[in-house]
Amino acid sequence: MNPVVYLHDGSFEGLLHAVSAAVKSQQKIHGIYAEQCYSPQIFDSLVQIQTDSQQALRLFEYLKNLKGAAARFAVNGFLSDDRKVGFHLYQMVRECLVHGAKATRLYTHDSIRYLDNLSHKVNVEAHRFTGLIRFRILEDGLQYAPFAPDCMVIGHCALHFKQRLKNRRWILHDIRRNHAMYWDGNVLQSIDIDDDFTNHVRQHGEIPESRLSVEERHYQQLWKVFHTAIANRDRNNLDLQRQFMPRRYWKYLVEMR
Amino acid sequence: MKIADKIQILADAAKYDASCSSSGSSRTSAPDGTGNAAMSGICHSWSADGRCISLLKILMSNACVYDCGYCINRRSNNLARATFTPEEIADLTINFYLRNYIEGLFLSSAVYASPDKTMADMVEVCRLLRQKYRFNGYIHLKVIPGAANDLVQQAGFLADRMSVNIELPSEASLKRLAPQKSKQGILAPMKQIGENFNGFKLERKKTRNAPHFCPAGQTTQMIVGASAESDLQILNLTENLYNKMSLKRVYYSAYIAVNDGPLLPAVSTAPPLVREHRLYQADWLLRFYKFQAHEILSPAFPNLDERLDPKAAWALRNFDLFPIDINRASYEELLRVPGIGITSARRIIKTRRVAAIREQDLKKIGMVFKRARFFITLNGKYLGDAGLSHQHIVSAMCKAEPPSSKKLQYNSRQLRLF
Repeated sequence: MNPVVYLHDGSFEGLLHAVSAAVKSQQKIHGIYAEQCYSPQIFDSLVQIQTDSQQALRLFEYLKNLKGAAARFAVNGFLSDDRKVGFHLYQMVRECLVHGAKATRLYTHDSIRYLDNLSHKVNVEAHRFTGLIRFRILEDGLQYAPFAPDCMVIGHCALHFKQRLKNRRWILHDIRRNHAMYWDGNVLQSIDIDDDFTNHVRQHGEIPESRLSVEERHYQQLWKVFHTAIANRDRNNLDLQRQFMPRRYWKYLVEMR
Repeated sequence: MKIADKIQILADAAKYDASCSSSGSSRTSAPDGTGNAAMSGICHSWSADGRCISLLKILMSNACVYDCGYCINRRSNNLARATFTPEEIADLTINFYLRNYIEGLFLSSAVYASPDKTMADMVEVCRLLRQKYRFNGYIHLKVIPGAANDLVQQAGFLADRMSVNIELPSEASLKRLAPQKSKQGILAPMKQIGENFNGFKLERKKTRNAPHFCPAGQTTQMIVGASAESDLQILNLTENLYNKMSLKRVYYSAYIAVNDGPLLPAVSTAPPLVREHRLYQADWLLRFYKFQAHEILSPAFPNLDERLDPKAAWALRNFDLFPIDINRASYEELLRVPGIGITSARRIIKTRRVAAIREQDLKKIGMVFKRARFFITLNGKYLGDAGLSHQHIVSAMCKAEPPSSKKLQYNSRQLRLF
């Protein structure tokens, strides 16, 4: 019999629904992918999932009730944008059905370890970006921060800044996925950003000159001066700097541009 | 003088402070205020020397009245001097903080006029930030040795972390290189902060309304390589500071030869980076691996081996305690095996509860197998090469050093061609 591949629409509900359908089917599963990152293979027989959020919710409730890391693995696995995460979640759910919550502690199981690593990767990147995001303050006091993370960490970061800068109005803009979140002092919401503006930021790594106030440039300049002066020339170690702050993050960092 | 020039001078002068952590405080945001502190600390950038920048690390002034031998800012050096006003520092901190460049402020200073005057100005900066700007971010304040008790007390209620630099590891060196500072002047505020820190922590257990006193605790820093102390003396001092003064961290700073002097290493001497690295490894053993200083070093061998990390050196000296069995050893025993760290020891314990560990699982758990294998058995089977002499194991362990240590050793030994 041909290996079965499940395809879903790429949403969190879609992913979970596909996983639960795969677990129920009792067939030999070859993979679970989002449609947009699947390239057809000649011997695969495809099953297209029409997302039913009820099904997804049932699986998610089950994972949450397991108490262990299962629900976290599912959420962070989705946020990691990893191609193969569906199949590993399927393996994890099957292990959980046998062993219960303690299955998520089986570091020796390949899928569990894979999910643990993904979860770690998402958490680390989310934490890193709470530090690496740089706001530009516009004339009217609105703060705008473009960034381009590997994983979908905008939610984590928004929750962080919601606490930290609760009196300010700010926009976090994930340039890679073109997803922006706006905090107006009371409510956090998703918004659309003008395409011309986004393209300009994507191209130059900075907002248009006309929007950049004199004060903003002044503080950016001071920050650059500080950043250079605080380095200890006798202990230069650029490799170490890049290890913590890889090149791909530099584009929107004021001090590295 | 322009602000940019002041930053240039005073950040440059502050770069010798090793500490950059912003952890340990969970100050929450106030409804009408700006910012909060993250318990884990957050790094915001990394400078060209690979150290993280999480705080605006800056001196209030570098116009020092003291003349300490090892210090770049000593009075007898001819360099550009600058002094910030409290308002300037507060403004910089707030504006950098809003743009998310920094996690807070790390304020230190050279002693100008008198210790009291300097300390009072530094406390004034904190007061401006906390009261005028309603700033709830992280503040690390350096205490000036010799400042009045009540200034230190006030600072404790405003700052998240305080530190008094111990500067040199012994009183004799202090007398020789920093004659204007005294051991008493350094230890007295340290003790005061330690007692208050513990006192108010207890108080807060009784009532939630008791104020925070320096919630992230205190740290200190000492210079390694400017004077002749052995690593044993340094580690003993460190252990005492942790146990008696309830310090959170002791920082070591490899002495960078900036001054000429008969009592100091020559200006051409390279900073002892490998030694600093080994000291930090030993410090980690004290804080996280439940080691004691007298286990790591002894009067017969008072210095750390530069080729081997201190844990591997300990394990090789006490080879009769090994091998231990991965499936039976306790957490504390596992921690003492080279190549097994806190994460992998925890994972071993967790995994064992579900299923016994097999040989193919060891690497998956995350331990460094090539280092650990000489010290472990698995269900009775020894995993190292049987019949290898002790000498061979020692050299194998030197070869299996972690890449970061190897790189440091290699780079610092390499000769310059030009």
